[in-house]
Amino acid sequence: MNYPVWEPFMLGGGLVIGIIAILHVFVSHFAVGGGLFLTLTERKAYRENNPALLEYVKSHSKFFVLVVLVFGAVSGVGIWWSIALVNPEATATLIHVFVWGWAIEWVFFIVEIAAAFIYYYGWDRLDPKTHLLVGWIYFGAAWASLLVINGILTFMLTPGSWIKTQTFASAYFNPGMLPSLVVRTAVCIALAGVYALITSSAVADAGLRSQVVGYAAKWLLAGTLIIPFAGIWYISTVPAMAREISMGGAPAVTIFAGLSIFFSALVMAFTYFGPHQRPRHFNMVFAFLLAVLALSTTAVTEWVREAVRKPYIIYGYMYSNGMRLADVERTRELGLLKSARWVRHHEVDPQALGRSGEEVYRVQCASCHTVDGYNSIRFAVKGWSWAMIDYQLAHLNSLKGFMPAFVGTEAERQALGAWLASLNPVPTNIATEPASSAVSSQATDAAEEGPSQP
Amino acid sequence: MNPVIPAPVPVPLPAPPWLLEFLLVFTFVLHVLAMDFLLGGVIIVSVSSFLGRHDSGRHELTRRVSRALPPVTAFTITLGVAPLLFVQLLYGQLFYTSSDLMAWYWLAVVFLVMLGYYGVYWYQMQHDELGARAAWVMLATAILFMLVAFIFTQNITTMLHPQDFYRLFLSGQVGTILGSVTSLNIARLAHFVVAAVALAGLGIALLSARWRTDSPELARWGRRYGVTWFMGGTVVQFLVGLWFLFSLPVEIRQSLVGDKLAVGLLVLGIFLALLGLLTAPKSLLASSVAILGAVSAMGVLRHLVRLAYLRPYFDPNSLPVRGQWVVFSIFVVLLLAGLATVGWMLYVFYRPAARRA
Repeated sequence: MNYPVWEPFMLGGGLVIGIIAILHVFVSHFAVGGGLFLTLTERKAYRENNPALLEYVKSHSKFFVLVVLVFGAVSGVGIWWSIALVNPEATATLIHVFVWGWAIEWVFFIVEIAAAFIYYYGWDRLDPKTHLLVGWIYFGAAWASLLVINGILTFMLTPGSWIKTQTFASAYFNPGMLPSLVVRTAVCIALAGVYALITSSAVADAGLRSQVVGYAAKWLLAGTLIIPFAGIWYISTVPAMAREISMGGAPAVTIFAGLSIFFSALVMAFTYFGPHQRPRHFNMVFAFLLAVLALSTTAVTEWVREAVRKPYIIYGYMYSNGMRLADVERTRELGLLKSARWVRHHEVDPQALGRSGEEVYRVQCASCHTVDGYNSIRFAVKGWSWAMIDYQLAHLNSLKGFMPAFVGTEAERQALGAWLASLNPVPTNIATEPASSAVSSQATDAAEEGPSQP
Repeated sequence: MNPVIPAPVPVPLPAPPWLLEFLLVFTFVLHVLAMDFLLGGVIIVSVSSFLGRHDSGRHELTRRVSRALPPVTAFTITLGVAPLLFVQLLYGQLFYTSSDLMAWYWLAVVFLVMLGYYGVYWYQMQHDELGARAAWVMLATAILFMLVAFIFTQNITTMLHPQDFYRLFLSGQVGTILGSVTSLNIARLAHFVVAAVALAGLGIALLSARWRTDSPELARWGRRYGVTWFMGGTVVQFLVGLWFLFSLPVEIRQSLVGDKLAVGLLVLGIFLALLGLLTAPKSLLASSVAILGAVSAMGVLRHLVRLAYLRPYFDPNSLPVRGQWVVFSIFVVLLLAGLATVGWMLYVFYRPAARRA
């Protein structure tokens, strides 16, 4: 409302963020867990006096640097870029609350990057003890960066007492922070195993390959064993409605939540019976299949985590479309188009209801919906008459708990309804006008704008 | 018509604007130093690769310089995060608007940087294997980073013109409105690119000092080569700088002329750049210190230009402040500890006694 709305046509803003974020999460957790894996495996190689294992760690560190420092770092910036474009109001709020948190995370990034390069370029320059210490510094900084960003992420679903106090401490130490930290740390360990299975399956020496594959599988199993317990703890802290949405309230979310559990179980079973029990038979194809499965688990889980926050982007403070709860009443009284800055007309034009409705849609709905692509609004209202649409809009938050209430004047609501009704052919034998219409005299005009009004 | 500008976030600023402005300028200067070495380095390595296909000295130089580029890319990105964070905090309502208007281009920055970063690695890791194609890889990388610089210039300049926002909004579909590419924007872009080439030249001269033990000949030649790029770039920069200065709107120039600090910084910047130019053949250290001073003076001047542009529309000092001093202190302590840790790691990495072989 405050900012021009960018509509990435078929994708929609949510999916743009989602695609970048899911890929980033899949790599950034490896950036943390992989650091621990490198350091502990290097130490193991020294302790067992196993030069072959050490060679493997060296080659894994090259893979690590290329994946983590390039894709991991840049995609992280990409999330920030995309959230600022899709939801500038929420991004601005987060930055105001957490700028020093991000500044602290930035310090950890600097240490993390310096340590990663020195670790990677230092194989032949540093003595084993110093090299290991650099590895520990890397892991410490990487985990600390997770510690910071995790609190900011959970804040959005469980802002806790911040709504009242507005202090940094209450925002950061929110109810979901600690359990989510445990979940994410376990994911880091599991993903360290996933990536290590990829590189270890490429080891030429059969004996070493078998040894490292079995070892990497243990990392994956250890991580996946912790996740369900920490996950239950995390779920116990989320708002009741968020739980309901994922447990039957919204079928799509419930299915994805189920898929998250199913994929996780598959990863665990696949790892146990595959690389753990039969490391000799494990190969690159299996490793990639496992990685795809792990990526799918990440994707559905992150999707559910985002979906259960609906209808908010900051729970109980700001709706997904960027409107603060505190601004709802004023906007309702003044009117949405009058309050919005980036519209062509600040009043509903009775002669062009559809056009006004489209502007209302853009300001209020387009941050989650697209017209024809992801979460298509045309599909959502297919077969609905204008009267039906108007009734839905008037009771949006009660009928669909994961959507915010419509905010605007009655005329704006009916304009939106007229535009939505014009998107599809309207079934005959259904009342096509709202029962009490503030703009009923213009209904015919609106109907004329639709492609197939009666 | 009154300009359409979004309302700032109602959450108070977590520190007074002067501190945030200081951090914005300070971290911007750090970012620019790394960015200069990266962008200028990629351009110089690209040109040298084309010129040096039959010249073993140039070939070896590009190989050695390219080894420094991946860490420099990583630090350019990371050091760039901080000023962008403070810009969003202080001028978010302007920055988000211009970004949204050009959303597709702005989002493309992420992918251009990623591709460029892999280009840098590709060149470095496969320098010899790529053969003649290496020059093309570096050229493509240079183009990618130049595109990033262009999009940045467009966005950061558009955000200074809130009076144009609504007109731009009406001119097309949100996300595709890049804003006009004016002479001012081109001058600004050229100012940055030429500075990058000059600074990277100086960086290469400094870097070549490290080759003295294993290839003294290359070290001497590298120094001369870097200094030539630096001096050539700096001379061109005086002309481009004038072009940029006179492309600024008259009212902005007048407002700067009336500001003693701005005039002082401009004079100081030019003087230090001149000093850097004259001392470069004799003392790289003296030249580097002078150039560091020139970049810092210009960094502050750039901020004064921004303030002059925005004065009629917005003053960050009008925003409410509620200092988060405890967490700010934690940040300062961690920053010092972090820098000490990085310093220690660099020390153990570069001390000759640490070499295993």
